[in-house]
Amino acid sequence: MTLAELTHPRQDYSYGFLDAFARRELRRRILKAIAIPGYQVPYASRELPIARGWGTGGLQATLSVAGPQDVVKVIDQGADDSVNAANLRRFIARMTGVETTTDTARATIIQSRHRVPEERLAEGQLLVLQVPDPEPLRAVQPDSSQAREMHADADYAQMWLSLYEQLVRFGRFMQGASYPVIVNRRYLMSPSPIPRWDTPALHQSAHLTILSAGREKRLYAVPPYTDVRPIEFDDVFFQVEDQAGRVCMITGAAQKFMDELPQPGGGSRFRISDTGYVEKLLAAARGEPTAIGPTYYDDQGRFWMPGVIRGRGDGDS
Amino acid sequence: MAYVAARGGERAIAASEELHGRLSGPLSGELVRAIERQLPYLVDRVMGEGSLYAPELAALALAQTGGDLYEAVLLLRAYRSTQPRIAYAQPVRQGELRTVRRISAAFKDIPGGQILGPSLDYSHRLLKLGVLDGQNVELGMLNVELPSEQETSSADEHSAFNIQHSTLPAVADWQRAEGLLEPLPAGEPADPAGLPDVTREPISFPAPRAHRLQSLARADTGGVLALGYASMRGYGMSHPTVNELRLGYAELTLRHPVTGVAFSAGRVRVSQAEVVDTGAGKPGESPLRLGFTATIGWNEVKTIAGAMLDLEMSAPDPHPAHREEFVLYHTEPVESSGFCIHYKLPHYVTFGSALDNLRKAAGEGRREGETLPEATPSAGEAK
Amino acid sequence: MAAPMMSPADARQHAAFTALMWALSYPGRPARLPAAGPDALGLIGETLVDLETGFFTPDAALAARLARTGGRGLPAAAAPYQFYPRLGPAELELLAAAPVGSHAAPDLGATVVVGCAIGQGARLRLSGPGIAGSCEVLVGGLPDELWELRAATVRAPLGWDLFLVAGELVLGVPRTTAVEVLPWPM
Repeated sequence: MTLAELTHPRQDYSYGFLDAFARRELRRRILKAIAIPGYQVPYASRELPIARGWGTGGLQATLSVAGPQDVVKVIDQGADDSVNAANLRRFIARMTGVETTTDTARATIIQSRHRVPEERLAEGQLLVLQVPDPEPLRAVQPDSSQAREMHADADYAQMWLSLYEQLVRFGRFMQGASYPVIVNRRYLMSPSPIPRWDTPALHQSAHLTILSAGREKRLYAVPPYTDVRPIEFDDVFFQVEDQAGRVCMITGAAQKFMDELPQPGGGSRFRISDTGYVEKLLAAARGEPTAIGPTYYDDQGRFWMPGVIRGRGDGDS
Repeated sequence: MAYVAARGGERAIAASEELHGRLSGPLSGELVRAIERQLPYLVDRVMGEGSLYAPELAALALAQTGGDLYEAVLLLRAYRSTQPRIAYAQPVRQGELRTVRRISAAFKDIPGGQILGPSLDYSHRLLKLGVLDGQNVELGMLNVELPSEQETSSADEHSAFNIQHSTLPAVADWQRAEGLLEPLPAGEPADPAGLPDVTREPISFPAPRAHRLQSLARADTGGVLALGYASMRGYGMSHPTVNELRLGYAELTLRHPVTGVAFSAGRVRVSQAEVVDTGAGKPGESPLRLGFTATIGWNEVKTIAGAMLDLEMSAPDPHPAHREEFVLYHTEPVESSGFCIHYKLPHYVTFGSALDNLRKAAGEGRREGETLPEATPSAGEAK
Repeated sequence: MAAPMMSPADARQHAAFTALMWALSYPGRPARLPAAGPDALGLIGETLVDLETGFFTPDAALAARLARTGGRGLPAAAAPYQFYPRLGPAELELLAAAPVGSHAAPDLGATVVVGCAIGQGARLRLSGPGIAGSCEVLVGGLPDELWELRAATVRAPLGWDLFLVAGELVLGVPRTTAVEVLPWPM
């Protein structure tokens, strides 16, 4: 070690904002999370200059992984240009000097609140999902120490019971976003409040997903090529949100996850929630050279990997 | 355009911040110094919840946020995240506090005496409306002679009380000697570096004692009061009396990293409350049990309510609102306020996802006499 | 405001961490460290260890370097981070005692960094999370008993996670990876 290695010009904040101890701790936890897919690793979770509950968990993960060579995309509800996404992107760029993008394919790190992009993520890409509540058992067991024991014993009977009760009362599963999944046949996991449309994208994915809950101080991961199965019964299947009949008012495209826009006088129009993808479709329509990557769902709404969404005949094509 | 769809969200952010600033006016060093000097109780509350003893920074945080307490606490906590831990201070003993105020409700008089000290407890809560008409309230206008050792000759807060009461014994020590309280655990206190630290590892339950006391020290004053008040009003299992309430200055003692010699790095305002439960006590046990809370800064409401919650959390089968997990999670100021305001963020993806289910359930709900599927958990189930 | 700069030490640790992260995410695919050989083990130590955790290594020079991180030196049976520049029968006995975590806290299982040779030696077939189907790697310089010991002590979600280091390369073998020692074809 030389003196030059220890000194640098005075600056108000460390690279990536976090001090060296916080960064090292997060890195240790991230490695354990990858080694134990779906297990919630407790971490100290420092306060950041962003309010708790606004993505501080995702931010801590991103800040501890990002380096100057990274290209970062930040989305909220699928949108790159929302105020919250803009704010987080601004902070990440300010503290790490990374390049930012709205192009899913170009990003090395994608930090997201509530969505997975429509274009399929590739090997070497990192998806960081912001998590408000990491505990999939919360609805059946609000006491976190008891929920922890249930995870230790892989005792998810109450979860199956609650699923069955939904079936009895409503004739279908009523879980909307955050649909619980079983990871690597072991841990019940909340995929964060992504819509069910996005849940299958985590199964046997090429990319790495890190999920981080700053307020609840838990982070967990889905490594690439790992089984992620929504909980369902052998004769009643998990279903994604129905996009049939919805046409994007901007691009004319169908069978992507749509935002519903209520219209004055009744009825709704729709637009694709993934704004980065919309940008690309528009550029392509203008005849600009645009590389649109393969998407998770094709124009008929079939999921790219057969057999993942059961009971839909995706594999018949 | 809607707030989420606004292109150039960054401009909107800057404009929003600018508008907010216009309400509170310009920031200056003078304003910060005035807040630090003249609103010490507010500064203390922010330091306590912010978990950082830095009056100047707390005053800056208050000035910068226009006095929004939760925002000020968050600023201080976020600043704290950037500061490495360079050393551990030596433990502070109760009897060594430079005490300026000490009250026991359990006894008429106590060894060392009751010290009323600085307080508004017995003031008439009348607005000094004359101030609005240009009448200034100067120090010394109450025409009262302060005891000589508490002469407020200097504006310097540290010497304002010219602290003499440096070695007042703890009331609990007398009770221990009388066999009314469990003796303290034998031996020297643990190495500070080895203490469980709530800022370095998340709390798990049952919480180590250190985690519980650290959480209470950082807790939201209003939250601790609400849950503590529920206990006082009748949901509690205990019948507490304030054994001792103390405000004072603690000496921050460090050891020199090379020579190992202990030295003082300064004094910090601290407060602590001990409440004693007279209701419990099984045969063979000491009749009294203690509840305790301490925090940096002077904050009587928080320490008293916190000490009562400490008692409640240790009770065998506390009310659900007084269970340790319930109390400590829900009185975290940064987490609770942050999560509360996060509901302002767009949630239309999750809302849309729920709507999909509700529409389907309404449209194709199960009809009478329809048989249920067998519902066999799929192969995805854990082994 | 210009973004803060990484110090050279930060930059090396960042590069080492990303190598470890991707090596663990794609077991069987070596990632490149910004250091080689014994220096690589030291750098991994500096990347992961500080005064908030502890380490074990039987190597005196490495122990001195790791102690400078502020990490506590701990016995092999207790150390969360373990470093073996060479893994012989004696070291294997130490490794046998390494923490595997508990069902309540499987993340307390150790991280074990071992020097070896990659691209020569035993043929291993790996499968599990991070691997599409299965893959094969050649890893030498390790006692055969390592894989027997691992099979006997590592039962995901309990167990320790391995980083195999050869030169600049690091191979991740998390506890979830199934390792099969293959016979040579001839």
